[in-house]
Amino acid sequence: MLDSRVIRVGVLLLICFALLLMQLTNIQVRQAAALDRNPLNQVVQPSPFFGPRGEIISSDGYVLAESKRTNDQYHYLRVYPPLTAAMFSGITGYYATAVEANPFGIEASYNQYLAQHESPVNSLHGLFTQHLETDDVILTVSERLQAAAMHALDSQPDAQSGGAVVAIDPRNGNILAMYSNPSYNPNLFAVHNPAAVNALATKYNSLPNAENPLYNDAIAALHPPGSTFKIVTTSAIYDHHPSIANQSFPVEALYDFPHTGSPPKTIHNYAYEVCGGSLAAALAVSCDTSYSQIAYELGASSLASEARAFGFGSVPPIDVPGAVASQFPPPSAIDAPSASPYLAYSAIGQYDDNATALQMALATAAVADHGKIMAPHLVSKVVGSLGNDEFVYRPHVWRRATSAKTAASVLGLMTGVTTTNIGTAYTVFQGYYSSGFPTAAAKTGTAQPGGNGCGTYNWLVAAAPAGAGQTPSVVVAAMVPVLSSRACAINPTGASVAGPVAVAVLEAALRQQGGG
Amino acid sequence: MATLAATSKSKPRRRSELGLLIVGIIVVSFAYVLATLGVYNQLPAKFATFIAILVGVALAMNLVNRWLVPEADPVLMPVVLVLNGLGFVMIMRLAPYENAPHLAGFQAAWSILGVVAYSGTLLVIRRSRDLERFRYLLLLAAIGLLLMPMVPHLGDAAENVGGVDLWVKLGPITFQPIEVSKILLVIFFASYFVEKRELLSMSTNRVGNHLLPDLRPFGPVVFASAGSILVILLEKDIGFSLLLFILFLSMLWVATGRWAYLLAGLVVFVVGTYVAASVLSQLTTRIDIWLDPWRYLPPGANQGGYQPVLGELGLGQGGLTGTGLGLGNPQAIPVAESDFIFAALGEELGLIGAAAIIVGYVLIVGSGLRTSVRSRSDFSKMVALGLTVTLGFQAFIIMAGVTRLLPLTGVTLPFISYGGSSLVANYVLVALLMRISDEDSELPAPVPRGMRAVTARRAERRTTAAAGAR
Repeated sequence: MLDSRVIRVGVLLLICFALLLMQLTNIQVRQAAALDRNPLNQVVQPSPFFGPRGEIISSDGYVLAESKRTNDQYHYLRVYPPLTAAMFSGITGYYATAVEANPFGIEASYNQYLAQHESPVNSLHGLFTQHLETDDVILTVSERLQAAAMHALDSQPDAQSGGAVVAIDPRNGNILAMYSNPSYNPNLFAVHNPAAVNALATKYNSLPNAENPLYNDAIAALHPPGSTFKIVTTSAIYDHHPSIANQSFPVEALYDFPHTGSPPKTIHNYAYEVCGGSLAAALAVSCDTSYSQIAYELGASSLASEARAFGFGSVPPIDVPGAVASQFPPPSAIDAPSASPYLAYSAIGQYDDNATALQMALATAAVADHGKIMAPHLVSKVVGSLGNDEFVYRPHVWRRATSAKTAASVLGLMTGVTTTNIGTAYTVFQGYYSSGFPTAAAKTGTAQPGGNGCGTYNWLVAAAPAGAGQTPSVVVAAMVPVLSSRACAINPTGASVAGPVAVAVLEAALRQQGGG
Repeated sequence: MATLAATSKSKPRRRSELGLLIVGIIVVSFAYVLATLGVYNQLPAKFATFIAILVGVALAMNLVNRWLVPEADPVLMPVVLVLNGLGFVMIMRLAPYENAPHLAGFQAAWSILGVVAYSGTLLVIRRSRDLERFRYLLLLAAIGLLLMPMVPHLGDAAENVGGVDLWVKLGPITFQPIEVSKILLVIFFASYFVEKRELLSMSTNRVGNHLLPDLRPFGPVVFASAGSILVILLEKDIGFSLLLFILFLSMLWVATGRWAYLLAGLVVFVVGTYVAASVLSQLTTRIDIWLDPWRYLPPGANQGGYQPVLGELGLGQGGLTGTGLGLGNPQAIPVAESDFIFAALGEELGLIGAAAIIVGYVLIVGSGLRTSVRSRSDFSKMVALGLTVTLGFQAFIIMAGVTRLLPLTGVTLPFISYGGSSLVANYVLVALLMRISDEDSELPAPVPRGMRAVTARRAERRTTAAAGAR
C-alpha cells in the first residue's frame, strides 16, 4: 500500500516535470520569434544594437555615416559628418540607437551588413567563438553630384518644399543623385536621448508630407506628371498604332472633345497657343490639342497597357524602403463616352495620373536605354572587414517597357524639345549647349492640381547624350512644386522652374562621367 | 583500502557508477572549455587544475561509495556531478559580468565541501535507523534553524534581498538554515508518521448509525499548515514554506493513504494563502507579476517584472538549440547565478539543454523513489520518499517560477544555483538516499553475499514485512 502511494507521488512529480517541459517548449519554440522581436530584447541581446555599425560611403569616397565610441550605456554614437548629413539624409536614413524607430534608408535596408554580425567561420577555433564584424556600404551616389542636386533644388527661388530630383544611369540603373527638400540632420535622431528623438519624430510626422523631412518625396510623393507623361503616350503610338506617327495634326488652340454634347467640352493649349502639325512638332511644343486627338485614336486600353509597361502600377524595386507605385487610371474609368475628356487628360498626365520623380526618371530611362528599365539602386557593393566584397549589386532589367525601335524614335523626337526653337525646353538648354554639352533629349511637364489656383507641379525630364546613334548615360527627372499665391505672379512652368534644376544636375553628371 | 581493491570485483554497481562519472567528467569538461572560449575567446588558462579537481572529486565519490555504500544506486552521483558541474560552469561564465570574480572559486570550494559533507554523512550514519533515535531533538533543531534568521544580530540584513529573511550570518559565513532544516523535518515526519500511522489512519467515529469524521487526526495538518503560514509571515518567504507544506502533505498521505488529508491540506493552503496575501502585500505583488510581468518593468515604482521578463527573453533567445555556452547574454538577467540560473542555462543550451537538466532531476527522483519502494523498513521508505519529494519539488518550484508556470518563489535550484548552504545540504540529502539505497540491496545476514538470484525470496520478504506492519 505504501509503495503504490510512493509511486503515485512519483507520477505526480513526473506530471509536474512534463508540464515544465511543455511550458519551456512554449517559450523557447512557439514564442521564440515573438520574444526576439520584442524591443526589450535589446537588453538581452545588445550586441547588434549597441555595437558599432559599418560605414556608409559615397561612390567618391566620402564617409556619410560612421560609429564613434562613447562612454555612455549605448557604447557607440552614430555620426553623420556635418558636410553631408542633410544632403544624404533621404538616402542614408538615420539610426536611432535610443528609440525603436520605423527604419528607412540604407540604414534599414542594408542593416544586416551594417549591424554587427558574426563573421563567417574560417577555423575550427572559430566554430566555438564569436567574432563580430561590420561591413561598409558603398553607394552609387557621389558626394559631388548629390551636392549639385541639393544646391540646384534648394537655390531655385520659387521652389517650395516637396520638390525632388533624381539622376540615374539608364544603362545599369545606378542612381547618381537623389535629393528631395526639405532635408534634415540625421544626427538629431542618432543622439542617445530617447525623449528628444521621440519629440523630434513626432514633430516631423505631424507636418504635411511635402514639409516632412523624413518623407522622401523622390520615391514616395505622387503628383500628376503633366506633359512628361507624353513620353508614354508617344511610345504607345509606335507600339499600338504606328500610323498615327505619320499624321498631320490640325493647327488649333482649342480641341472639341467628341461625344460631349453641344456645345462640346473643349481643351485648350497652354496659354491658348496655336499648335499642331507633325508628331515631332506636337511633342516639341507639347501640344495638348494634338495629344487629345491622339488619345482618342489610341484608346484607353492601349494607353493603360503602355503605362503599365513603363512601370505605372508597380513599386520600383529600389533598394531602400518607402517607394510607392505610380498610378494610371484603369481603362474602364476613362473609356466611357460620358467620361471622354478624362481619356485626353490621362494621355497628357493629368486627371488621375500620379507619378513619383523616380518613376518619371525610369520612364525616361526606358526610352534612353533601348526600351528596357534597369532596376534602380543606390548601393554598388558592400565591403567586409577584410576588404572583401560581401555583396555586389548585379544590375538587372526591371521591366521591358517598349521595343528598342520605339525607344529610339521617342528619344529622337525628345531631342527636338531642346534643339528646335519651338521646343518647350529650348531656352532653358541654351546655356547647356553653349557650354559644349552633347545633344539632350527632354520633356517638360506643367501639371495643374485640381482647383482653379495658379499653382503647378513643374517637371522636366532629360537624357543625354542623345544624339543619333548615342546611348544616353544620364537621365534626370526634376519635380518642383510651386503652389503658393506667388504662382499667379510668376506663371511657373516645367521649363522655367524645374528646367534649371534638371539642367544643372545633368551638366554635373555629364561632367563627372567625362572625368572632368 | 586494501579491502577496497579486494572487493572491487564484487561491486558491479560501483563499476557502472565509475563509467557514468567518466561520462559526466567529459560532459562538464566540454562545457567548461566551450564557455571559456565563448566568453574570453581563448582556451581556459586553468584547464589542468579544473580537470584535476573534477577527476579528483569524481574518484573520491566513487571510492567513498565503494567503501561505505557499495550496493547503492549507481546513477545518483553521476547525475549530481553533471548538475553541479554545469552549474559551476554557468557561474564561472557569469562571474566576470556580475562584478564578482570570487563567485566561481567559492562555488568550487562549496562543491568540494559538499562532497566532504557527503562522505561525512555516510561515515557517521551507518544505519538509516540511527536517525530515528533523535526524533524530537531533530524536530527541535529544525524549528530552531527555521527561526534563526529572526534572531537579532544573527539574521543577515545584507543578504535579505527582496524582503525575504532567510539568511543567517555566523562570523564570515552566511547561510540559509532552512536548507538544513528541510532534511531534519523529513526525518522527523518519517519517524512520527510511521509510529502514528494507525492513529492517523483511523477515519471515523461511529455514533449510532452515523459515521462521523474524527477530527483529532487533523491536528497535525492544522499544525503544519499553521507552521508554514507562520514561516511565510515571519520570513516573508513563499518558496520554502510551500516546499515544506508539500513535503508534509505528501508524507502524511503516503503514510496514511487518506485523501481527506490532501483535501483538508488544499483547503487550508488556499485559505491560508488568501489570508497571507491580505496581510503580505508582497504575495499579491508576486502573483500580479506572475500573471503579467511586462507591466512591472522599469521605469516604474514596482520593477519586479524585470527579472522574469529578461529570463523569458533569454529563454526565447535560446530557442531549440541555444546560443551556445558563453555566446548568449544571460548576464543581462539580474543575479542570474542564483534563482534564475535555469533561464541562463536555457538561453545558452536551448530547449534541448534545459530538457536534459530536467531529465537529470527526473533521474534523481526516479532513483530516490526506487530506493523508497525497495526499502525494507517503513521508516527508511518514508525518509527516502521525503528526501526525493523535497529535492524534486524544490527543483520544480524554481524552474516553474522561472518559466512562469507558477509564481516565482525564491528557492535555489538544487546542485546548480550558487550557494553554499544549498549545495552542502543537498549533498547531505543524497548521502542519506545513498545510505538507504545501499541498505535496500543488502541481503539478510544468513544469506551469503554474491547469491543474487533471490528476487523471489526478496519479494516474499517484502510481503511479510508489509503484513507485519499492518
